[in-house]
Amino acid sequence: MPETAMRKSVDWPTLLGDNARTGGLGQRQLHSPEKAVWQFRAGGAVRSAPILNDGLLYVASVNGMLYAIDVATGMSKWNFAAGGQLHSTPSFFGNSILFGCDDGKVYSLDRRSGEKLWAAASQAEVWSSPVARGGVIFFGSADGKVYAVDAENGHQRWSRELGGRIYSTVYAAEHVLYVGCGDGKVYCLETESGNTLWGAATGNGIDSSPAVTEDLVLIGSEDFFVYALHASTGEVRWKYETGLGIASSPAVSGDFTAIGSKDGFLYAFETHSGQLRWKTVVGEVVTAPPVVGDGVVCIQAGGTFALDPATGKIVWRAGLGGAIQSVPVLAGDTIYLASLSGEIYALR
Amino acid sequence: MDRRSFVKAGCIGSASLLMQGLDPMLRADTVPSVAPQVELHGLPDYKRSPLGMPGLFPGKVIEVRDPKAIVRNRISQPIVRRLLEHAMKNLTGENSSLDAWAKFIEPRDIVGIKINPSGAPACCSSPEIIREIIAAVQLLGVPSRNIVVYDRYSYEIDIGSYQALLPTGVRIVGIQDAFTGTGAGYEPNVYCEADFFGEWETRSYMASIVAHEVTKIINVPTMKDHSASGVTGALKNLAYGTFNNVARTHRAPYSFTNPVIGLMCTVEPLRSKAVLHIMDGMRQVWHGGPLTQVQDFIEQPGILLVATDPVALDTIELEAIEKKRAERGAPSLWQHDSSSITADNNEFFHNAAKNLFFREPGHIAATGKLGLGVSDLKQIDHRLL
Repeated sequence: MPETAMRKSVDWPTLLGDNARTGGLGQRQLHSPEKAVWQFRAGGAVRSAPILNDGLLYVASVNGMLYAIDVATGMSKWNFAAGGQLHSTPSFFGNSILFGCDDGKVYSLDRRSGEKLWAAASQAEVWSSPVARGGVIFFGSADGKVYAVDAENGHQRWSRELGGRIYSTVYAAEHVLYVGCGDGKVYCLETESGNTLWGAATGNGIDSSPAVTEDLVLIGSEDFFVYALHASTGEVRWKYETGLGIASSPAVSGDFTAIGSKDGFLYAFETHSGQLRWKTVVGEVVTAPPVVGDGVVCIQAGGTFALDPATGKIVWRAGLGGAIQSVPVLAGDTIYLASLSGEIYALR
Repeated sequence: MDRRSFVKAGCIGSASLLMQGLDPMLRADTVPSVAPQVELHGLPDYKRSPLGMPGLFPGKVIEVRDPKAIVRNRISQPIVRRLLEHAMKNLTGENSSLDAWAKFIEPRDIVGIKINPSGAPACCSSPEIIREIIAAVQLLGVPSRNIVVYDRYSYEIDIGSYQALLPTGVRIVGIQDAFTGTGAGYEPNVYCEADFFGEWETRSYMASIVAHEVTKIINVPTMKDHSASGVTGALKNLAYGTFNNVARTHRAPYSFTNPVIGLMCTVEPLRSKAVLHIMDGMRQVWHGGPLTQVQDFIEQPGILLVATDPVALDTIELEAIEKKRAERGAPSLWQHDSSSITADNNEFFHNAAKNLFFREPGHIAATGKLGLGVSDLKQIDHRLL
């Protein structure tokens, strides 16, 4: 297999694997990992998802450091000290890596050297993941605004104030953006201007990040419900009540959608009908998003669980990777996990 | 580097997990005798405030309730708003909510709202109540940037999703990260010192945010039993959420939470700054607290309790939880029966007859004797509205 094709098959460039937020469909992680290949100590808790590209695993830690770890050796290739704590999952644009920071900035670094390219400012912490589309970076901030900045230099194109804090990661479709907000609404904004096309109310604030498939926007709310909204109008197509609030985000693959709830269950639905396929208890609390592999659904909830997507039965579990806000990276025959104490593991 | 420098330097993390008894396997080897001498070091020359505990209304507790305030675990924002306004007017005797709040808060204040997120998401300070408190404080003219919602462990605040659920502009601060020790920090000159079980670090330091930053504290405890202290209410939320290295005071099955909780609350400036206590009784945990997620032991009575006197408030809470335990056939919080002690966390969380410690709810009356409030039920003006 040519090297470029091989790299492509194991890359994991953004939250839930790719910009379609499918949660890694097509990656293979069918068997239980047997050993730790290496272990890296980040020196601070990790509350975001690592991402992987071209042999480097990028991990943001709440100690303010972004680490680029060579997956062949488990050694740091470079690291970057940001101006505050990091809770944001990084993402890529071209040769740059982007992430939000508690100092209110989104940083862009050269992903091979770690050199800072630019920083775009907001007025409060940025926990959401920056999303690139068409040469523009979109991100939400706890200052209540969605920002669009130029991917090359960070210059602001527009900002749009919504009704509450934004911790939800923007979903960027071709002409519109979708994002959840602390005011309990899911917003649809025009990509070019940031103008609001619609806002759909839920019963409490939203911490979850939306996924979009065909004509549906899927998202969880702290009002305990999973929502499927019509992408053009915001009209509720179906909703499903879980036992507690939802901070987890949906992973969607065709007619399969999985999402966790703070009631400790991982839920799986038929995407189009909202019919519950199964629900399985995986921990006391689930706040992280699941990821979907080929024949397996993985989630971190006080440990790492792999479930059969057809039945919801737990296929294997690992005590490592206790960070309930992080997400495993499934890459070829290796799985990368972050722990509450900031340990990063490569398991095979 | 000596042991104290090591802790101050921020290596609190993994070391403290063991020191603080977070390791469930850590148990006392021997039966302790009496409580050791506890040395208190407050902020030097701090002028005590008349608003400080027991505050403007010693011995007075207002209880408001509405069963519709929480339905199927969801809290009604409008009903919480109405309940809180009603309680504040009755506590203060004022006709308007604004005047009631103005007795405690001035526009120039930096207001700390001490939440209790431990136990999230099953039972923690409800964001709906915190929103109402923030709105009331803002109406008095306090800018959002001068309102700080805080607690000790940032990861517990995350699980409660407070960041997403509270208004923009308000600061949300976790004093430390439970797993690495990084965070906003502690004041090295304000501490309580005692050696309870031969632990490595014998000091507990006051959070810098309390010592130096906020000028008033609104305390928002939850209504829960506690495996070591009997209940966790206003006093414990303040003391053990303000000082670090506190889990060392209880090593299964023994607990020195009495007298430490009360003693910590006397330390200035904590005593002076804590001017109002709003107990969240939307949910009431009668067994498994403070961390249980087992819904079998969590009632949803839809209660708010408001007071300036934390001792009177916790006395009412203790009575309520004792009553609920009796109704459910669970042993009293005062029971010291060695056959009820288990070292198995799972058994404790699912069996109301079992406990990890000999509980010590006497810390409430002991705090009353320190002058922080009224613990005699006959002297408490408990108004049910």
